[in-house]
Amino acid sequence: MLANALLSLVERVVNHVLQLDNSLKDRLAAIADKQLLIEIRDWQQRILCVYSNEQIHLYSTEELSFDCMISADINTLLTLKNPAMLTQLIRQDKLDLQGDLNIAQGFSNAFAELDIDWPEHFSRYIGDAPAQQLWLSLQTLKTRGAQMKGKLEKTLTTLCQDELAVTIHPLELAEFKQQNRQLKSQVSQLEMRVNALLKSC
Amino acid sequence: MNENQEKTTHFGYKTVAENDKASMVADVFHSVAAKYDVMNDLMSFGIHRLWKRQTIASSGVRKGHRVLDLAGGTGDLTAKFSQLVGDTGQVVLGDINSSMLKVGREKLRNLGHVGNIEYVQMNAEALPFPDNSFDLITIAFGLRNVTDKDKALRSMYRILKPGGRLLVLEFSKPEQEILSKAYDFYSFNILPKMGQLVANDSESYQYLAESIRMHPDQETLKDMMEDAGFEQTSYQNLTGGIVALHRGFKY
Repeated sequence: MLANALLSLVERVVNHVLQLDNSLKDRLAAIADKQLLIEIRDWQQRILCVYSNEQIHLYSTEELSFDCMISADINTLLTLKNPAMLTQLIRQDKLDLQGDLNIAQGFSNAFAELDIDWPEHFSRYIGDAPAQQLWLSLQTLKTRGAQMKGKLEKTLTTLCQDELAVTIHPLELAEFKQQNRQLKSQVSQLEMRVNALLKSC
Repeated sequence: MNENQEKTTHFGYKTVAENDKASMVADVFHSVAAKYDVMNDLMSFGIHRLWKRQTIASSGVRKGHRVLDLAGGTGDLTAKFSQLVGDTGQVVLGDINSSMLKVGREKLRNLGHVGNIEYVQMNAEALPFPDNSFDLITIAFGLRNVTDKDKALRSMYRILKPGGRLLVLEFSKPEQEILSKAYDFYSFNILPKMGQLVANDSESYQYLAESIRMHPDQETLKDMMEDAGFEQTSYQNLTGGIVALHRGFKY
């Protein structure tokens, strides 16, 4: 019941998103009333996902009634934001799929192409100009955040490689790999020579 | 002593003539209909929504299905089923009480649920439908008010299609003793006062508490469903057994 309580909150958020991007409803129309069952293996949960009557319905269920079922662990499911990954993951045995593949791809495509016009929605509350300004500020903040993250990563890498010496430099790793390959090749040659000598004895 | 006087049943803790129970229950629900939703939220702290959500999750309902929401009251389940069965399906909201049905119809229409919902006043013991006519029947917090539960279950079995299922959501017996005592205290001391304060009706809520105690426990109800003909019967305790969701199939 806890899972259904959490899903009711997620359902509210998703349905709110549906109201924010009008084109999402058009993209989901093709898979309306089709039942997508998502099995999260590591959580031992099955989530039923249906788009019906212009609303997404999400339930945690034990039922095995579906038009399409995908079964994978949570990390694999999160990579499904990119629909092109679907067939690749099936080939790698990381994902099981039963039923109509188009339904899973339909949901995946619909949300991958999510495009919410935030300034338009903000403008309803604070007017056009402040909404645009707020959106630009948020974008700048996002860019600066990404830059800060990059800088922080660089600093941390330098610290670990040069100051604390707990990790090696990528060049050192490349050199180590190169030496490994040489060693492997030399061992193979030696093996061939030994085999040839053994045969001649 | 005539035959009618010999046949008795319980109305909460009182013993009443079988013929009188339906009208007494009707009085209770005429009285609480207007404040039913508010009281449900208050009394259960909103948890009744999760119990109903669990019922929908266990229903296996899909587009085109025909669903009977028996004792559907103010239509919480009907609203969701109406969306899930789509325009090719149908939901019948049935209740013995005209006041509850009226409140339910008004609420659902205001929410925009129209087109695939039918409202029928009916007695669960003699359902006015042909054999094999529904894919799913639900009865949420209604069975304990029915005078002859066995007869009602047989009637539900009759109108269910082969492959169809019955879901009974009803108050039941808490699994833990400590929860049972806390629940008893709440039911008999706080609930009637809450009813008096909000709905100006403590007696109806006293009846609610008593009728819950008189209702069969999980195993007994499961047996009753099997006796009525249902197969693969099972139940799931919700909130420590305060409520149980019973499930049975017709094959």
